[in-house]
Amino acid sequence: MSPAAKPGPDESARLGLRLTLPAQVLVLFISVFPLLMQLYISLTDWSPLSGLAWPRAWEMWNTFANYTDLLSDNRLWSALGRTLLVMAICVPVEFLLGLGLAILFADNFPGKRLLYSILIMPMMVVPAVAGYMFYMLFQSGGPANDLLSAISGIPVTVAWLSDPTLALAAVMVADIWQWTPLMFLILLAGLVGVPQDQVKAATLLGANAWQRFVTIVLPRMSAIIIIALAIRVIECFKIFDTLFIMTGGGPGVATETISVYIYKITTQDLIWGYVAAIALAILIVLSVACVWAMKRMAK
Amino acid sequence: MSAIRLENLVKRFGAFTALKTMDLAVDDGEFMALLGPSGCGKSTTMNMIAGMERPSEGRILFGDRDMAGVAMGQRGVGFVFQNYAIFTHMSVRQNLSYGLRMGGRPKAEVAQRTGAIADLLQLGDLLDRPAAGLSVNILQRVAIGRSAVMEPAIFLLDEPLSNVDAAFRAVMRTELKQLQRQFRQTMVYVTHDQLEAMTMADRIAVMDHGVLQQVGRPLEIYNDPANLFVARFIGSPGMNLLAGLPLETAAGPVVDLGAIGHSPVLAPAQAAAARRARGAVVYGFRPEQVATVPPGHGMAMPVSFVERIGARTILHLGHGAQGAKAVFENDVGLSPGSMAHLAPIPAAIRLFDAETGVALRGT
Repeated sequence: MSPAAKPGPDESARLGLRLTLPAQVLVLFISVFPLLMQLYISLTDWSPLSGLAWPRAWEMWNTFANYTDLLSDNRLWSALGRTLLVMAICVPVEFLLGLGLAILFADNFPGKRLLYSILIMPMMVVPAVAGYMFYMLFQSGGPANDLLSAISGIPVTVAWLSDPTLALAAVMVADIWQWTPLMFLILLAGLVGVPQDQVKAATLLGANAWQRFVTIVLPRMSAIIIIALAIRVIECFKIFDTLFIMTGGGPGVATETISVYIYKITTQDLIWGYVAAIALAILIVLSVACVWAMKRMAK
Repeated sequence: MSAIRLENLVKRFGAFTALKTMDLAVDDGEFMALLGPSGCGKSTTMNMIAGMERPSEGRILFGDRDMAGVAMGQRGVGFVFQNYAIFTHMSVRQNLSYGLRMGGRPKAEVAQRTGAIADLLQLGDLLDRPAAGLSVNILQRVAIGRSAVMEPAIFLLDEPLSNVDAAFRAVMRTELKQLQRQFRQTMVYVTHDQLEAMTMADRIAVMDHGVLQQVGRPLEIYNDPANLFVARFIGSPGMNLLAGLPLETAAGPVVDLGAIGHSPVLAPAQAAAARRARGAVVYGFRPEQVATVPPGHGMAMPVSFVERIGARTILHLGHGAQGAKAVFENDVGLSPGSMAHLAPIPAAIRLFDAETGVALRGT
């Protein structure tokens, strides 16, 4: 075989680059182009009602006016606060419930397979359908009140979704119902992966069940716990579909989260330059926060 | 310090019986090796002693105390796992002090005892290193130290040398034996490697298919195997075992070995054993305990293969059921195809009942 017929390392690298180039350009287009477009629009007062095509948005250039506006947008800040509140309650509850279930399911018991299937079912329900389900559950004459009446013995007729506080609670119940299974699945995988020899070794050294859990099982699961929490924190921040169908962000703005607020100003107020600025600001803040949190937790 | 007594111990997993009625007494401070091929029940026995498995029948006693219902954390047993089960998310110090910390000992005591065990095992310089990424020989010492710091009365080791390479195994054998002398604890050591058992153990319990075959000092087991399994399993190569029939000749009692001819005349003890046989016997002798003799004396066997491994020469003789091996210190000048004339050393001959496989003894 002549030396020329055999591709050198440089040549094969170049071939690889040429073969993957179209795909890379496509990925670049999908991920980077919209971001650049968003950045561009966010620096203008452009709106679809302005009569200009978006590439000509520079005619309405306002530099950082949108960004200074959002700092004083009270509706935005309360939506952000509400989103963080939902996150601060839902994610820990989902985590603790999921962990408890995972510990339960790490052992064998009769009916485990059936219960397992039932438990992960909520995750597979389409969020919009889950929204309608909980919308009906929480009607004043609905099953939620019936159940509470049966337990307490007093007829309960709470209008869940019309009360600002209770509506937010109902939305959180729906989120916890739907997403605890995901937490449970991920944590169960982590729990099953804990080396049993180490647990046995700890037992033989006299550690009790709680000590084993804290000193062996949890540290061994830390990586997967971080992943599970990160997934849920990010998803929870974007909470929208179930909530929107249940309350539409109402009553008033009582359940208006960041996503609902952005949706409303996009479809109702049509101030797209401002929307782009909000979305970009959130993306930056969330990315920085995520990287910081994961670095901290990895230690 | 504690002796271990196993009484009528049985372990079943569903329909499978892993251990069939085992009785064994390990003396206080003794190093007992449980030796056998994989699946012989040795690890199951060990796990039951540690409390990881519950016996299906029978009792386990430490001293006079019945261990039934005593949880594995309360047995005061040190256990070294085959893969060491080191807590790799901790430092060496945290590994060594784990049991003491979990037991809620005062900080000063934890530090003092951890330091002492680290010095003993030459781990002093490594105390603050993360356990992940340490070499196997250090991990092994950490695993031993982590159990030893609890000063358990009984130490159980589950094939601790099976993960290390052959050269290092030789070093560790010596090291382990020295450690046992220092700790003076009762040790039970599970292994499938007869060399480990022979060099380290005070006594060996040979097991096969869930049945205890023989218990004895290493040389007893080597010289006087209780049955054909032990004869074949111990020694490298194992004992030569030839099918034969006891025969009285004018010269004295011999064993008729068929095509090979007659064995040399049996010594009095072996002759007495032969007379106890009811029919066919198995004629056994160690490959090392053979001498070459002039043609016409002893057994004539064709040489099929010659292994020359430096210090020793191993002759492969005969075929199949009448095959044997002979080990010589020097080259004997025989090549494949030639006839070897051999006679086992009379005192080294062992006879077994061909039907039951049990050793026949003269007295």
